[in-house]
Amino acid sequence: MEKSDSQKIPQPVGENVQRIDALEKVTGSAVFGDDIQFGPGLLHARIKRSPHPHALIKKIDGSKALALPGVKAVVTGEGFDGYLGLYLQDRHIFATDRVRYVGDPVAGVAATTEEIAEKALDLIDVEYEVLPAVFDPEYGATPEAPLLHPDLKNYAVANFIFPKADTNISNHFRIRKGDTSSAWAQCAAVVEHKYRVPHIQHVPIETHVAVARVDDRGKITLWGSSQSPFAQRNLIAKALHISQSDVEVIAPYVGGGFGCKAGVSMEALAVAIAMKVRGRPVKLLLTREEEFHTAFVRQGVVAYFKMGCDKDGKILAMENRYYWDGGAYTEYGVNITRASGYSGTGPYRVPNVSVDSFCVYTNHPVGGPMRGFGMPEMHAGLEQCVDELAHAIKMDPAEIRLRNCVRGGDIILTGMKMHPTGLSECIQKAREAIHWDEVHPASGPNKRRGKGMAIMWKAPAMSPNAGSSAWVEMNEDGTATVGLGGQEIGQGTFTVMAQIAAGTLGIPFENVRIARPVDTDYSPYEWQTVASRLTWSMGNAVMAAAKDAKRQILEVVAEAWKENIDDLDIVNGNVISYKTEESISLQDITIYGMPRENFNGWIGGPIVGRGKFMPTYVTGLDPETGQGERSVVHYTTGAQAVEVEVDLETGRVEVIKAVAAFDVGKAINPKLVKAQMEGGLVQGLSTAFFETLRLKDGVVINPSFVDYRIATSSDAPADIESIIVETAQDDGPFGARGIGEHSLVPTVPAVANAIYAATGVRVGAPPFSAEKVFLALMEAGLVKGV
Amino acid sequence: MHSAHPGLPEFDYVKPASLAEASAFLKAHVGEARPFMGGTDTFVRMRDGFWKEKYLVDVKHLEGMQDITYDPAAGLVIGAAVNMNRVVASPLVKEHYPLLAEAAHSVASYQLRTRATIVGNICNASPAGDTTGACIAFDARLKVHGVDGFRFEPLQTFFKGPGKTVLQPGDIVVSIHFPPAPRGAQGKYIKLGRNAIGDLSIVGITVLGYPDASSSSGYRFKIALASVAPTPFVPAPAEALLAEKTITPALLEEAAQAAMDACKPIDDVRSSAVYRKAMVRNLTHKALVDVWGRLSAAAR
Amino acid sequence: MSLHRINLKINGVAEQVDVASNTTLLQMLRDRLALTGTKNGCAAGECGACTVMLNGEPINSCMILAVECEGADLVTIEGLAKDGQLDVVQQAIIDQGGVQCGFCTPGILISARALLNRNPDPTDYEIRDALVGNLCRCTGYVPIIAAVKQAAQMQKQAAQ
Ligand SMILES: Cc1cc2nc3c(=O)[nH]c(=O)nc-3n(C[C@H](O)[C@H](O)[C@H](O)COP(=O)(O)OP(=O)(O)OC[C@H]3O[C@@H](n4cnc5c(N)ncnc54)[C@H](O)[C@@H]3O)c2cc1C
Ligand code: FES
Ligand code: FES
Repeated sequence: MEKSDSQKIPQPVGENVQRIDALEKVTGSAVFGDDIQFGPGLLHARIKRSPHPHALIKKIDGSKALALPGVKAVVTGEGFDGYLGLYLQDRHIFATDRVRYVGDPVAGVAATTEEIAEKALDLIDVEYEVLPAVFDPEYGATPEAPLLHPDLKNYAVANFIFPKADTNISNHFRIRKGDTSSAWAQCAAVVEHKYRVPHIQHVPIETHVAVARVDDRGKITLWGSSQSPFAQRNLIAKALHISQSDVEVIAPYVGGGFGCKAGVSMEALAVAIAMKVRGRPVKLLLTREEEFHTAFVRQGVVAYFKMGCDKDGKILAMENRYYWDGGAYTEYGVNITRASGYSGTGPYRVPNVSVDSFCVYTNHPVGGPMRGFGMPEMHAGLEQCVDELAHAIKMDPAEIRLRNCVRGGDIILTGMKMHPTGLSECIQKAREAIHWDEVHPASGPNKRRGKGMAIMWKAPAMSPNAGSSAWVEMNEDGTATVGLGGQEIGQGTFTVMAQIAAGTLGIPFENVRIARPVDTDYSPYEWQTVASRLTWSMGNAVMAAAKDAKRQILEVVAEAWKENIDDLDIVNGNVISYKTEESISLQDITIYGMPRENFNGWIGGPIVGRGKFMPTYVTGLDPETGQGERSVVHYTTGAQAVEVEVDLETGRVEVIKAVAAFDVGKAINPKLVKAQMEGGLVQGLSTAFFETLRLKDGVVINPSFVDYRIATSSDAPADIESIIVETAQDDGPFGARGIGEHSLVPTVPAVANAIYAATGVRVGAPPFSAEKVFLALMEAGLVKGV
Repeated sequence: MHSAHPGLPEFDYVKPASLAEASAFLKAHVGEARPFMGGTDTFVRMRDGFWKEKYLVDVKHLEGMQDITYDPAAGLVIGAAVNMNRVVASPLVKEHYPLLAEAAHSVASYQLRTRATIVGNICNASPAGDTTGACIAFDARLKVHGVDGFRFEPLQTFFKGPGKTVLQPGDIVVSIHFPPAPRGAQGKYIKLGRNAIGDLSIVGITVLGYPDASSSSGYRFKIALASVAPTPFVPAPAEALLAEKTITPALLEEAAQAAMDACKPIDDVRSSAVYRKAMVRNLTHKALVDVWGRLSAAAR
Repeated sequence: MSLHRINLKINGVAEQVDVASNTTLLQMLRDRLALTGTKNGCAAGECGACTVMLNGEPINSCMILAVECEGADLVTIEGLAKDGQLDVVQQAIIDQGGVQCGFCTPGILISARALLNRNPDPTDYEIRDALVGNLCRCTGYVPIIAAVKQAAQMQKQAAQ
């Protein structure tokens, strides 16, 4: 027997094993939040919400509602003076003195049926004094704008967020590197543009749901569709001034998250209401319309770009400014602002940089994290400008990207040294796969064909010390149960963690179980299921826990066999000795241990491995210049290219072929990686063609699937190619990095660049609806007007 | 902020034993009772809180409601409760009125069409209704049962405004009647939605053309436009041009232009008026070219 | 508001339920019978997560009253597999990686099964057309479309 090479990637890592949750999801037995049965004691909650974008609350009278038979409680902000907020604590559970967006919760009702609770809402009288509102982030940042959070200076805030007292600016992130002002003179071409990227919604097919119960001792149990059970435990405890360990969050399968189920959104409302009806579980399920009105939005942004290059296409300077429409409160907005600041040049090597990124309070729905965390919004304009630079100096748009794209060893805009990355390989591969240099004829006289490309980077945007932990517990039958706190939201993380555990332990994939649902009382700590960080961060924790379990097992066997632990290994569920070629099954020995010689006592006992991971190396950045040694943990990079055909009769754009190439470090499960690339690409196309949350005076005017369209089965391109590039991540499990969010970051600009290539017209900011494209073609005189 | 209720508001489900009973009940509860077929418009409006009926009257089981019949002399009769999937799949419809099948197929999704009906689509009187145009083009009439018995209502005068029709309290549409399709007719429905399929129409263009010796061009074209006016819209000047002048490629363009000039669409969540106008021209032209192509091929 | 006693067959089992007039089939399945495999994604006929098979045809269960289901023969996702044997559409969607969060999956599988019942050999366009009322935010539809093709193939082979 040969001792296995420890550098070798063990099975089933890198293999397309079947999803661990597939069977229950195809038979309807997978349990989601609204599926949990609570019996007849369950109460139903509904929320009274503000009809005004900005107003003072003068009086709330719930007495009539309380008198309605079946109503068990009417709850307002009274008695809930604590604040919620992940980075900046600026939001009460219920609005108390002031409402700041249409949909801001002012009261909640618990009743025996949802119908009664709904009726009771009409019986709650709220008196408002309407105030002038802010609907534009640029205006909001000016001194003339009404102040939305007069208490901003008193809010608790993370040390890397910089709110400006007595303004609506909840964060200002700056980069100053080199000298932009003197660089422009050396440029052969300079491009300058403004883009207004609209708000969009996450639109998981499962709406938000939370069930809360408070027992006699005051212990809170919360069941919910959640990407962040531990963050919810922490933030809700803080807002209620209670101890974290008195809050238990139980998180079943999530029917799509994309960020909107991260942090605390509506869950605290269910908890607050449940506190007034102790012992009874209280369910709050958002309607689809309520979801559109009140769930976290992907915030809009007004983005200014100025960039220039020399005659060889070398980008010399960028001066970019982002005004983020953070909305009424800023659960995540301040950190999206920061992320788009420290990644503010896109994936380019630029010697002279100035970036200002502002998060601005407005009277719009609350900005949350959405797949891409600011990067799709930022790249939407940035990657069109780079395209224009190329055209201005008559260079191939793929070539300018190859010349300037960030490479390992480069010093990026924050002063950090870039780790090895395969971005140029991604560009090359995307270029080949889309047949970049071939010209394909259009399918008819009224059609125009063109190809476009865009590239991207994104780092996990998180607290610098966001941690993961895991345990691996062995069972009698030789299987292992993995405890973890990250959530299965569709991305396949349970499967990938089982693969990492199986490979590390040396047992078959089929022998790994995931302990679920995630339950903060039983599961090990995990910061949140966000930032595409689980494969990397939780993966490291699981790997460490599996290694720990393996070490414990081998120690027992080594002692029983009187062998050196270095000569032992676990292969396919058996402990083997490379020296004696002896072998023993894991069954039984990982629980009961092993007998000593002549039954002279026992060795070992139940095996539980534990592991953790926390990045310790991220440094702070200078508040004036944004410079520091290590701004982020790492970047995932990639490229997309699309070929489109524009119908001049209608303006409709059809995607003929789409190609994605991303550097994921190491694909633990290539099929799941490609599923992320493909699903993300189509979601990106959906945002490119269809999606805008239409806000009129602060009111969402398209709060349903009828009016807010997303891509359907009829809109997915027939030809999608996903390419995996692997440049190992030094601290990733088997070299892995994340991919979940990245897959939609470059889609919008890739499409925009393709439309330009096809027609010579730039449509600007998304969505590139048939109407918008047609009107742009009309304006350009390419089609007949009316 | 207007937000729909989680479920349907309270009402009583009523299932009368006869049309007479149904009409009498509806008449006795004016403003409180409503007949329904698939309910795909009704439930949505009630859940939204816009309709507050106390009674929903189910008449789908009553006589003739579920039948599709065809007679070469009398034409096609579709019971009011026949769902759209049955219309699309019906060999009779496919053979004699393919345009109707095409239009019905464009509505929503397959599973919604298991509920949605053509009569519901018409009675709902939405300017965006996809099947209305085909019914108008084929000169369909509705058979209505009211408190005074049966009568027929032609579609040309049926629509009074968005959501408004000539139906009176107690009226129940029992079936829709299509005269035999004109000999040699060719039709086309072009639906422009935001998605490739499945969306409501930004504009919907119905064109039916057939040889007609009584018109100077030798052909007659019926055109109906969805989502461009408060009611389903017939651009009469375009139809007139195609009947009066010799049909040439230039005339098809002229007619499309006339269709555009005749309509006055509005801006809404789905589209701007400007885009709608341009699309009426471009897609009417496209539909005319397509239909004319088939007509002239048949004539050769 | 009156209550109605209805009798119907769900996944081959006879059921009797008392329902209010305004109870939708979706509400009856989920809230009264704890058949929670059928999902609520909008309650407005738009997302297809609630799709069930009623007398052999797929239908949005949020768009029909429970009382209208008197005498009906209903198949929900819980009844798609027979005797522990997955339907080919279930197996194919697993094989093709057409399941992510899984919330749309029950509705998609019912639509897919219904399509193959009425059209055993659908084209790519026919598949997309049949699924247009089933929104999926995760997969991008591509593997789902491939799964329906695979299932048609499997069905054909099994029949031979
Ligand atoms: C998600 C979704 C998507 C949709 N997409 C489309 C689309 O693409 N295109 C389109 O055109 N429509 C669409 N609709 C609207 C709707 O489905 C159609 O209008 C459908 O044809 C209505 O038929 P129904 O039988 O369900 O009508 P119902 O809701 O039963 O009735 C509609 C109206 O007609 C009245 N009515 C019904 N039957 C009678 C009768 N026999 N006598 C007198 N009055 C009667 C009712 O009182 C009501 O006012 C969509 C609806 C939904 C929910
Ligand atoms: S829940 Fe029925 S279609 Fe969405
Ligand atoms: S798998 Fe998540 S919505 Fe389809």
